[in-house]
Amino acid sequence: MTAAPPILEVRGLAKRFPPRSGQASSPWILADLSFCVAEQEFLTIVGPSGAGKSTLLNILAQVDDATEGRILFRGEAIRTANGTQLKPGWNCQIGYVTQDDNLLPWRTMIENVMLPLRLQGRLDVGAKDRVAELLRATNLIGFEGYYPHELSGGMRKRASLIRTLAYDPPIILMDEPFSAVDAQTRAHLQQDLLRLWNLGRKTIIFVTHDISEAIALGDRLLVLSKSPAKVIAEHPISIRRPRDLGNIYKLEGFGDIFECVRRALQ
Amino acid sequence: MTVSAIRPVFPAIQRKRLLVPVGRIAVGAACLALWQFGTIAIGPRWLPGPADTVGRIWELAISGELFRDTIVTFAEAATGMIVGGVAGAALPFALRLSPRLLAALEPLISAAFGLPKLALAPLFILWFGIGITTKVMFVASIVFFLLFYNGLAGILSIDPRLVAMLRVAGASEWIINREIVWNTAKPFLFSGLKIALPRALSGAVVGEFIAADSGLGWYIQNARSINDATGVIAGVAIVTVLVMAVNAALQRVQARSLAWRPIAKDMAI
Repeated sequence: MTAAPPILEVRGLAKRFPPRSGQASSPWILADLSFCVAEQEFLTIVGPSGAGKSTLLNILAQVDDATEGRILFRGEAIRTANGTQLKPGWNCQIGYVTQDDNLLPWRTMIENVMLPLRLQGRLDVGAKDRVAELLRATNLIGFEGYYPHELSGGMRKRASLIRTLAYDPPIILMDEPFSAVDAQTRAHLQQDLLRLWNLGRKTIIFVTHDISEAIALGDRLLVLSKSPAKVIAEHPISIRRPRDLGNIYKLEGFGDIFECVRRALQ
Repeated sequence: MTVSAIRPVFPAIQRKRLLVPVGRIAVGAACLALWQFGTIAIGPRWLPGPADTVGRIWELAISGELFRDTIVTFAEAATGMIVGGVAGAALPFALRLSPRLLAALEPLISAAFGLPKLALAPLFILWFGIGITTKVMFVASIVFFLLFYNGLAGILSIDPRLVAMLRVAGASEWIINREIVWNTAKPFLFSGLKIALPRALSGAVVGEFIAADSGLGWYIQNARSINDATGVIAGVAIVTVLVMAVNAALQRVQARSLAWRPIAKDMAI
């Protein structure tokens, strides 16, 4: 997998927010952050809370700008060293599943899921079939006409997940998407995600503060330091797929990686 | 909190539902009784009773005056509502694009809102004459601010995370406006309309007090000048019914277009 050319390359990324009034300068959130992601790779990133993980994803999604650094998408600079005009989602090439489900409350579940396809003018028969398949895979059949407030937290999460999967961007960023649900729902959602990823392998950058989740889901794991964040460790995860998440703790290799990452985070 | 789209209708709830219209009628009847009691207490010359009032309204209906005056007042209120309401509702959408312009304009708009419009009536007459334009502009100057401030509150409550999400999914500025700005502002605009529509009607009536040759306000003013208490109360009653009708229509439209909102079941009417 490391032989494949990187789909996304981050070089020397740094970020600080403008200083607040009365403050001479603001602290760096990210500093000299560099990494690569290969095509179809499931990259997980763990870091302590408040390490700037969401900031990093916001920059990759082009919702926010970096202060310094370069970002290359398939070799093409989407952020040069002296900055560029932000293009959120980089022409729908980069999908973003945020911490909150961010479903539009005035649209039904199915309208929410199909909205990106509709905006991109790609809502054809094939896309509809794909959506139907995703609904089936996530047990959302029968709830199409419900408004978000009528769905449970886990259903909203799944809906927000397949909203991004439905339009099939080559890269999907995920920002602790399962942090707001209970442990059991979370286990289901993780299994769902792996199954969906197996249906059509995408490049996923999955950020979390949960070490087990990062090991269970990823092909490779990056550890970020405390703010200002930079990559302090990298672990390939060679646990075989398909993985049984219920038994992941017992599988060979899990304990060692867990221990290493835990120590690195301390 | 999970699946609650199907509303179970229990007999107890149905009985409770019935309580509302029954209660409404009871309170209405109590008000009529109080009115009748007042008439007996201070004399029909000063406070004509419900029967006399209904009789007068009937006469007006037969002679065609009721229809004519109602149409005049309604047309003034509606035109003023469109002129002032559309401008007031559209301005926050435009100002969203420039926070600095908003910051610059807001105190001025606030000051204009505070101006007593009635005190400006002589100017309105000077500028627009005594025809329908004066009343329309008078109504517009009242409802403009009500919709502006409600629309502004709506625009300021937009969730930036939804905007970012939609941008990432490929939405243009126009789509952001139509999908998020509009839908966020809509409940606020309805609250604005709820206040503005009755104010528009009463604004038209007050405008007619000042200068008019037809309309319900003109009728009331005319009745007052000849000490015709029955006429005054009949006119006021017609305006009240008109306000209620407009309100009911608004309620309908609102219920349909805001059906997505999670409303506490016991708050639903």
